[in-house]
Amino acid sequence: MPRIVREAEIDWEGTTARGSGVVRAASTGSFELSATIASRIEVVEGKTSPEELLAAAHATCFVTSLGSELARMGTPPERMHVRCTITMDEVEGNGHRIVASAISARGVAPGADAASFSTAAEAADAGCPFSALIRASATVTVDATLV
Amino acid sequence: MADRTAHVTWSGALMEGAGTITSVGSGAFGPLDVTWASRAEDSNGRTSPEELIAAAHAACFSMALSHGLAQGGTPPEKLDVDATVTFVPGTGITKSVLTVRAVVPGIDEPAFLHAAQAAKESCPVSQALASVPEITLEASLA
Repeated sequence: MPRIVREAEIDWEGTTARGSGVVRAASTGSFELSATIASRIEVVEGKTSPEELLAAAHATCFVTSLGSELARMGTPPERMHVRCTITMDEVEGNGHRIVASAISARGVAPGADAASFSTAAEAADAGCPFSALIRASATVTVDATLV
Repeated sequence: MADRTAHVTWSGALMEGAGTITSVGSGAFGPLDVTWASRAEDSNGRTSPEELIAAAHAACFSMALSHGLAQGGTPPEKLDVDATVTFVPGTGITKSVLTVRAVVPGIDEPAFLHAAQAAKESCPVSQALASVPEITLEASLA
């Protein structure tokens, strides 16, 4: 398979505490966002943070894996809805660390039942490259509901 | 503790269907369209998980570096950071390349390279990506 490369860039002005940055999707131009340390660890005030971008990445990665598993089982989804919550916490002696990613998935998949949907969600978690990565430092949980 | 949330919906099968990052907790972005083709082939202006990871890594590294430089008594004027993430379907995420060009009054090159390396090692996203086979850094003073 070909290697797929995606690029993003940020320009940061000033110090972490008082400065701010602009994050751009360099590969596609599909977003341009401002970020500050306050938006990362305190109140968001409409600004994004690395953890929010990771939440978006994990939710998107998981939804494509889940759709693929459901199709493989002969019950392709009509619609899926995935929410991901990433938690960063202070770990003693180790500063801030990403400690958890919680996935909540709801899907409409004609022909699937609760058990097969749950099996598909487990397989999606096992197959999603992002779930595999994040487990290096964090706990990944999946809550799946057939609607 | 800080929680950050994102919401995605997808309609249809993987290859023919399409998804949307409908919203994120901060409201800073969304909706953004995603498809399998935009992830694995030409992006056609659509984002992907790997592009979002690249954005997260670049943002995290720039914060860690500006913090480290300020703590060392040489706060940066400006940091330009690129992150390039490589995804191999069937294998996973194999690489993240960080590039930084910085304006840092009063610093010499060895001290800057030391701060950049420390930021790469310590930033929470680098830690979360610890199982990526290759995370590299190219750092230079402008």
